[in-house]
Amino acid sequence: MQSLRVIGRSAAVAFADARAIYTWRTWTFGWLGRMLAQVVFFTYLGTKVGGAEQTVRLVLGNAVMTSVVESLSVVASTGWERMSGTLPLLVAAPTRPVWVFFGRSLQWPVSGTATSLVALFGLAPLFGVSWQAAQVPAVVALVGLAALGSYCFGLLLAALVLRAYGLRNVVSNAAYLLMMPLCGVLVPAEVLPGPARAVGALLPLTHVLTALRGVVAHSPPAAVLVPTGMAVLTTIGWFAAASFAFDVLVRGARRSGTLDLT
Amino acid sequence: MRVLLASLRLQLQLALRSAEVLQACLMAPLLAVVFLSVASLGGDAGLVAFAPSAIVAPALMALWTSALFTAGQSITEDRALGVFESVVASPAPLPVVLLGRMCAVTAVGLIAFASSWLTSGLVFGHWVVVEHPLVLPVALVATGLATATTAGLLAPLFLLTPSARTVQNTLTYPFYLLGGVLVPVTDLPEWLRPLGRAVFLSWSADLLRDTLLPAPPADPWARLGVVLALGGVASLIGTTLLLRVLHVVRSSGSLSHT
Repeated sequence: MQSLRVIGRSAAVAFADARAIYTWRTWTFGWLGRMLAQVVFFTYLGTKVGGAEQTVRLVLGNAVMTSVVESLSVVASTGWERMSGTLPLLVAAPTRPVWVFFGRSLQWPVSGTATSLVALFGLAPLFGVSWQAAQVPAVVALVGLAALGSYCFGLLLAALVLRAYGLRNVVSNAAYLLMMPLCGVLVPAEVLPGPARAVGALLPLTHVLTALRGVVAHSPPAAVLVPTGMAVLTTIGWFAAASFAFDVLVRGARRSGTLDLT
Repeated sequence: MRVLLASLRLQLQLALRSAEVLQACLMAPLLAVVFLSVASLGGDAGLVAFAPSAIVAPALMALWTSALFTAGQSITEDRALGVFESVVASPAPLPVVLLGRMCAVTAVGLIAFASSWLTSGLVFGHWVVVEHPLVLPVALVATGLATATTAGLLAPLFLLTPSARTVQNTLTYPFYLLGGVLVPVTDLPEWLRPLGRAVFLSWSADLLRDTLLPAPPADPWARLGVVLALGGVASLIGTTLLLRVLHVVRSSGSLSHT
């Protein structure tokens, strides 16, 4: 119960941050426009290589990818606490650090989910995807899961780079660029070499995309539910890893007396 | 000229320690992997057909990202360090100082091009022949200069509002799309093409791709002239805006408070 209260308070700060960065105008015409341009940019690849089927693959993958890109901003925003000098207070607080940091950047997966849904329902039909009303709840749930799963993965990266704060943007950008070929955003997982496929299977995005393609193709429920279950399991796994990494970080900082991690 | 070269040298030294420049250089081979992995779906024929685009696009994207960052950071970091007021008060003209610093991004373009070319060969086993080795380096340098002046247009905005970072973030993919960085402007919807042609990147991207194809590029020097002319126009507009904004913040005494 206490953890939920901590997440709630932390999330309030996160959404205050979002309001300070964006107005609805700058979000809609700035950020959203930029992300939709990114989806179109990568989808145009399909017009050059692979034809209509590849174009559909690319628009679906890249539309969901926007939620991943945004969720991985957690790597940078976790470090903002270091810049603000609040880390020693967080370490001294009677709660586990992962609850604080989980709530602290929740604006990203929420905004990312909205961006992805606009791309999927607004842009994908221009590239040959058609939707039926019955598919909408599943699509919304899957996009939310992709954002949450990537957020938990990003939390682990955030814990790992908190000491090397200057690398925060390098790490999050490299992570999303690597996820694109590994998670089936661009090419089917079957064409990847074995080790690359194994790494991709550890990431929730891979399974969400498999499930989403199942929804689009009106596949039997098992073809959607099994990968969805895998996405949930991998999300829990990344959250547990992030929690462990934050505990280790804080224990180390306490022991060495460098609470500000400098 | 002395001020320009000194600023260029300063920015190159800063760039060596900058995580953002590291990011731009790292981004190029990763993007090349992204594009080439799609091209490889078409087998060898797909790689041969699409590799020039897959090599040129990451280089231009890294160059533009790095230029946007430098345009913003050169002012905001100087401000944070408390040296910006001294730079403005010094006899060296600020537009020349900023232009010199922006020109340093040309180096990023060269490194990014080399790294994406290497990625094609090392990761995908597809070594692309530079068919027109005389035009390629000239086109890369001209593109670097045009990028420097065009991204420099943002500097006055950063002078007025440090929160212009949001603008900086939004000027990436829409610009890549309009600039025909990956897919030529001729593939865009007809109504967008004139706008794309007004972006220097569309001329640079076409020319750079042509240097990797066996056929001789059509009118390479005239196209280079267009790249430089568009960069020159951006430089004129940028300098005028910067001087005007400087005048405003000097008159109102708000240089340190904007």
